[in-house]
Amino acid sequence: MSFTITCPICGERDVYEFHFGGRDRGPPPSHDNLTIEEYLRYAQFRTTRTEAQLEWWFHSNGCGSWFTTWRNPANNREEKPQEMSNDQQ
Amino acid sequence: MSLKLRNNQVKSSETRAICGLERLWGTSPLKSHYDVVLIGGGIHGLATAYYLAKEHGIKDVAVLERRYIGYGGSGRNTAIVRANQRTQENVKLYDEGLKLWPKLIDELDFNLMFFNCGNLNLAHSEAAVSAFRLAVSTANFCNVQSELLDPQQCKELVPALDISDRPYHPIHGGMYHGPGGIVRHDAVVWGLAKGAFKHGAHIHQGVEVLGIDTDGQKITGVQTNRGSISCNRLAVMAGGYSASVCEMVGMELPVHPLTIQAMVTQPLKPFLHHVVSSGAYHCYANQTLKGEVATGAHMDPQVNYSTTPTAWYMKHQAEALCEFLPCLKGVKFMRIWAGLADMTPDMAPIMDGNVMYDGLFIDVGWGYFGFKSGPITGKYMAEFIADDEAPDILKPFALNRFLENRYMGETAGATNYGHWN
Repeated sequence: MSFTITCPICGERDVYEFHFGGRDRGPPPSHDNLTIEEYLRYAQFRTTRTEAQLEWWFHSNGCGSWFTTWRNPANNREEKPQEMSNDQQ
Repeated sequence: MSLKLRNNQVKSSETRAICGLERLWGTSPLKSHYDVVLIGGGIHGLATAYYLAKEHGIKDVAVLERRYIGYGGSGRNTAIVRANQRTQENVKLYDEGLKLWPKLIDELDFNLMFFNCGNLNLAHSEAAVSAFRLAVSTANFCNVQSELLDPQQCKELVPALDISDRPYHPIHGGMYHGPGGIVRHDAVVWGLAKGAFKHGAHIHQGVEVLGIDTDGQKITGVQTNRGSISCNRLAVMAGGYSASVCEMVGMELPVHPLTIQAMVTQPLKPFLHHVVSSGAYHCYANQTLKGEVATGAHMDPQVNYSTTPTAWYMKHQAEALCEFLPCLKGVKFMRIWAGLADMTPDMAPIMDGNVMYDGLFIDVGWGYFGFKSGPITGKYMAEFIADDEAPDILKPFALNRFLENRYMGETAGATNYGHWN
């Protein structure tokens, strides 16, 4: 479905202006004592849940910046998880 | 009065059968225990139930479907069947699948409208012609009919093609795979449901799996919106939603759910007698037996569970189609829809058994190839579940390949549109 992503520089823009960079999964695992299996699991295995997740986006047809934003893959709305929005209140 | 009489006459089951009014499948009571529970009432789940009941004598089978059978990918695909994949393991499986359609029509006594019109893939660069050369060699090595064509031969097959220098991506050649074609996807769902029910399997629509029960190393049952059901063996065949189902037992999969869109034009006089597809334009098209041009291919690259189409894509599709089939200019789109494709890193499916728990089988990650392979996969998954041992043809598709760095190489397939487009 078509939706919007909010770029920190350009503001709310059509999703087709952006390149999806995947879920933010924190820093890669330390290379010390890292087995091949652990690395492959980190690189490939992930579950997309129907709840808000922090993602990387690239404004490829715009200002060219990389940034993170929260999006829910169930409804494609930019929304923060329940507990985070409660904290802000 | 006469109408009343006629209604009374129709009551006899023989008359109903003659008039074609027999229900294809019926409702069954939801039992609290089944030997085998299959999650997902699509082509894969129904085919597995059918073959379990018919060929392995396992009739204590339930297919659990959250919505109605064929609601997901089984009813949303563009119904194309072919066996010209990149790797031998895949070609072998899809080729058997392709040869199964006519047999299945006889067996189910139901017309699946298999139309083996052939698939023409277009190359728009020299690199694409080279990729076709590889694909043709692989197919021929596996005894699958496939040949390389020059632009003139493409034009002879599909006179509506524009092989001039006018298009942005001119046509450099083609790959023709004669045995492929289209099958009516709804009929496959209905026919398999009919067959599965006839052989004793239960089909439960509107039953949503909410949790999976385990005891130590063993699967023991499922929690549903209609109570708990215990079972000895459980198979996940839920298409785009498979990863969410597997997460109920804490199993993570290398699967990404992406939205894929398709559409049909208004009905036209027959002009397109083959499935035509183009990698450069991200577009494939075939004319259905009703005369509509069914076309699709685009996947939105961000993971999501939405099945809503976009205006952006309709515009893209119209532009792409009119480039290599200029006669379609001005034709109107009638319907557009979307479904979910569960993509794996190597664009090949995952079929495995007794994974993580004893009695847990998975048949997932089919991406946008789940339709062509549905019945043949059901046949082998049924064998897998019945014998508790993977049939040789399914062994290369085990989940472990991703942890052993053994990709299947389907991303390089000439008929696939790049790495998830």
